[in-house]
Amino acid sequence: MKVVPDLLRHSAKAYSEGIAVVDGQKRITYGTLLSMVQDLSSFLVSKGVGHGDRVAILLPNSLEFITSFFSVLEIGAISVPLNTAYRETELKYYISNSSPRIILTEEALKPMAEKSADKTGASVAVIRGAITDYSYCNHGVSRKTKYAVIPDDEAIYLYSTGSTGNPKCVARTHLNLIALAENHTQTVGWTEDDRILFVVPLLHTYALGNFISGIKVGATLYVLSSFNRNRVIDLIEGEAITIFPAVPFMLDVLAKTYLPKPRDFSSLKLVISAGSPLSKEVFYRYHEKFGIYPRQLYGSTETGVIAINLSKDVEVNFDSVGRPVKNVEVKIVGTDGSVVGAGEEGEIAVKSRSMVSGYKNLPRETMSVFRDGYYYTGDLGTMDREGCIRIVGRQKMFINISGNKVNPREVENQISGHSKVKEVVVFGVSDSEGNEVVKAVIVPKGDLTAKEIYEFCRGKIANFKIPSKIAFRQTIPRGPTGKVAIELLK
Amino acid sequence: MEENINRRIRKVLIEKMLSEVDPAEIKDDTPLIELGVGADSVATLELLVALESEFKISIDEEDINQNLLENIDSIAEYIGKRL
Repeated sequence: MKVVPDLLRHSAKAYSEGIAVVDGQKRITYGTLLSMVQDLSSFLVSKGVGHGDRVAILLPNSLEFITSFFSVLEIGAISVPLNTAYRETELKYYISNSSPRIILTEEALKPMAEKSADKTGASVAVIRGAITDYSYCNHGVSRKTKYAVIPDDEAIYLYSTGSTGNPKCVARTHLNLIALAENHTQTVGWTEDDRILFVVPLLHTYALGNFISGIKVGATLYVLSSFNRNRVIDLIEGEAITIFPAVPFMLDVLAKTYLPKPRDFSSLKLVISAGSPLSKEVFYRYHEKFGIYPRQLYGSTETGVIAINLSKDVEVNFDSVGRPVKNVEVKIVGTDGSVVGAGEEGEIAVKSRSMVSGYKNLPRETMSVFRDGYYYTGDLGTMDREGCIRIVGRQKMFINISGNKVNPREVENQISGHSKVKEVVVFGVSDSEGNEVVKAVIVPKGDLTAKEIYEFCRGKIANFKIPSKIAFRQTIPRGPTGKVAIELLK
Repeated sequence: MEENINRRIRKVLIEKMLSEVDPAEIKDDTPLIELGVGADSVATLELLVALESEFKISIDEEDINQNLLENIDSIAEYIGKRL
């Protein structure tokens, strides 16, 4: 297998009648999925999409997201998945940065997609909903099944959020994604008998790695468009889910969800936690209710999956993200640039065929973190004598909202646009449950209420970026160098 | 009965979400959005699981909207129908 479409073609040949995707009442076999992908590819070609063109995918987790992803890659075009939580201003940035020829979306998001694409040259096609521009085998375009795609072709644009500047484009090639799927599947040992539940958004690097790995082995993928606790619980029990990639926040609320009657979760054999650190309380609480310990996974947008904790002694080292997955090298580097000893703290650097060689069109940013064939993650960690990695700190100062990264500067810029805001500082704080939430401290000009701020932000930035805690002060405390004294504001 | 439900909801709100707010400010008809309740999905889900635990009922997140979370009275009305 050399390019991403080979993954699906292989499973369609080996498991043609096996169920590939379950989306609500729809159960699609691998054979049909391949046919749907080829059909949508032909539609895209008829819309002028060709090799190297970008296609934005503004869809929630769904059958249509999966067919879109593969159909774009099938013709040598590049997928640009966009978060459906984003509002117009946010979408405009990604559309402007990636210049897609077309945006594939759903009926409910069509107005926003059209507004966001205005004057960019991108067209919009609705492929999900009651009224669509495309439906399977019903668009009058003849089907072609062979396109020239090579391993070094770009396959997907993901965006890396940092504390400074705009999100950076990470262009993964077919070779990177094939390596990602190989590294992951060789490590976790999934098979065509596995049933994987996707609630984490498929557009995130974490879910993407699990998603293409699931396709590679011929597993059945269950997709939920949003996190609904009772649906997750019903699916795990009713469909005998074996693999559940999640984020700590999901595991926390699932563990606390009231269950009026005993439920059977014995089918679960791997529950993965990634996106933010897993606390000891959630680790044990989840096990108490679901009978299985969550395993921490570590990855990044730039590299894909880096490590996973598959230790037999997970109770002892639950706080470790485990050993590097197959074919991935990790070293812990001290401030002098040399590799530190076992158990010593340093920056985590990664080398793998699944990682990109830099940020697209950003040579300066690339040089600062891609050096000597390694990607320097900015995360601080240790590696013990057994090769298990522990993350002890993150250098990037973004706020992590149940797996979604929030740049505090972006939220400050939004709030400071309010005419009654004199000054604002945004940062992350832990709520009473230990989850990180966005807090804004505002110096107002005259009378200003939190409600006015919520109304001002709603619809302009994604809901997960809107502060859930707002406080007002007469001044912002600062240290001797002028730096904001965040600790005094928490 | 209704008064008891309101009192228990207020207790959950103070314990889980509004520990920094003066309890005297949280009246049955206080607009909760002004205190940040319902502003983001993380905090809202945390409130739901806390209410489920307090009242031993299942709450479907699809039932939850801004109107339901408007104030303690509106939450009490929803919960009262499920007890």
